[in-house]
Amino acid sequence: MMTISVSNLSKIYKTYKRDFGIFSSLRSVVARETISVHAVEDISFTIQEGELVGFIGPNGAGKTTTLKCLSGLLYPTSGNISVLGFTPYERKDEFLKRISLIMGQKNQLWWDLPAFDTFKLNKEIYDISDSAFSETLNELSGLLEISDLIRVPVRQLSLGQRMKMELIAALIHRPKVLFLDEPTIGLDVVMQKKMRDFIADYNVRYKATILLTSHYMSDVRQLCRRILVIDQGRIVYDGDFEKLIERYADTKILTIEFNRRVKESDVSSFGQLKSFTPTKIVLVVPKKEAKSIASKVLTTLPVDDMNIEDVEIEDVIRMVFQKSP
Amino acid sequence: MMRKYIAVSQNSFYDYLAYRLNFLLWRMRVILFMLINYFLWLAVMPNEGSIFGYSQKEILTYIMLTILINGIVLSTQTARVAEEINSGSLNGFLIRPINYFLYNVFRDLPDKCINTFFSFIELGILIFLLHPPLYIARDLGSIALFILAVICASILYFEINMILSFLGFWVNDVWAPRFLFFILVSFLAGNYFPLDIFPESIYKFLEFLPFSYLVYFPLKLFIGHGAGISVVKGFLILLFWVVALFGVMEYIWRKGLRIYTAVGQ
Repeated sequence: MMTISVSNLSKIYKTYKRDFGIFSSLRSVVARETISVHAVEDISFTIQEGELVGFIGPNGAGKTTTLKCLSGLLYPTSGNISVLGFTPYERKDEFLKRISLIMGQKNQLWWDLPAFDTFKLNKEIYDISDSAFSETLNELSGLLEISDLIRVPVRQLSLGQRMKMELIAALIHRPKVLFLDEPTIGLDVVMQKKMRDFIADYNVRYKATILLTSHYMSDVRQLCRRILVIDQGRIVYDGDFEKLIERYADTKILTIEFNRRVKESDVSSFGQLKSFTPTKIVLVVPKKEAKSIASKVLTTLPVDDMNIEDVEIEDVIRMVFQKSP
Repeated sequence: MMRKYIAVSQNSFYDYLAYRLNFLLWRMRVILFMLINYFLWLAVMPNEGSIFGYSQKEILTYIMLTILINGIVLSTQTARVAEEINSGSLNGFLIRPINYFLYNVFRDLPDKCINTFFSFIELGILIFLLHPPLYIARDLGSIALFILAVICASILYFEINMILSFLGFWVNDVWAPRFLFFILVSFLAGNYFPLDIFPESIYKFLEFLPFSYLVYFPLKLFIGHGAGISVVKGFLILLFWVVALFGVMEYIWRKGLRIYTAVGQ
């Protein structure tokens, strides 16, 4: 069953240009220049029920904008979105009851009250029965190992503990669709792993559809089979994570230094040139031919030093970005 | 349906108790302000006869009761709305199935209840200590009109505050207009003295503004000056503002939300 479908979504922000200096600031009061920022441009994808999809891209690529459009916080400039059969920006109660959006630092917890009071408020807001409430709460607080902290005022909790409480507050109604924006940001390595395990567990346990963004490649690698790579508002890759790595891990990287200057035409026949200076080149070559190409280069050109490396995941992603226009 | 909003009130109540010192200082400010005003008028007013159409009894009653009115009408948490808009935590409300207006109404209720409760206690203590000559409304008609006016005034004040907070959709800092507004309200609402002490031309003008209906109008009804001003005219203007500002509040909310959901925070 298809849970999320996005077709030709575009989101353009209009912001005002702000100049520095007193005079230009004063002038901007009278006549402000508007700038259109294309946050997301003509993206389309679908996500099936129960899928856990990673959303990768550099800062400002449009990840958060997309998540906000999907959860109904932003209305799209153009295009269609359907989540669970609803149009998100209409924000119907039946829709809101089935989704949740968790954004890094933004919080819904009452700062001076124990997290339990926020959970109880959400219990009423989402119209959850007593038994379902205590069952979910026990389960979630057990999984996150914070059962003994839910009666402590939120302001006395550490960042990690607060994030966990935030997570429980956002999941207490057992949403079928979950949007996670940087769920592990600011957490230490141990907490990051726990959070990852938890997300994987929630996905399986409740057959929830999850779309998550993250800067940390390890998050995505461990959690998501499928990834969407977005750059400058456009989707540049949609598919299997492993295949993406295979496609690029299929190659090796040869870094070669010469003790005499060489011409580009001398080396371009050996493989794909990633960078060229007369004394140093970086070549991308198929894995299988790496050895033979290396020996050919050694015999025909004045090689000073040579290095053969595998591509890293971070590099894979970077390569995808470099390829996109 | 109602249960979620009762839960909001419950949390808001506990939240309020988390800042006891803050609350204590706030109550002290209200009492101090009232006492200064009280002794000023006690010194000015003769024991017998009247000035500006008020006997000593009436004016001191008016001043004492500003404590109560401040507790019921002017207690509110709605300044937080601007904060929530600017910090982006409004998002947390938009993605939950809850009406933000009702949320704010029910967040305000404990504030009003606690402040009203304490203003009754303080009034009791002050009356016991100062033995002021007080005018006690005896006819049920005046009291009923007073209560009705107080309810309308509370709604009116809520609307004005929400509108002020919604400025947060357009500007990042709403403290300046809010501060200006507070000074304006204490003065124009009649917190310092009854407004009909003003020259008639000014008073006639103030009558048509919403502010005088927050404090002056209800208290005037309580001390039985209903006949002096036209009760019907007063209620008509008050109701006009309640309805008109409700429209304005709704309109600005929709406009602001459109910008908010277009730009995001």
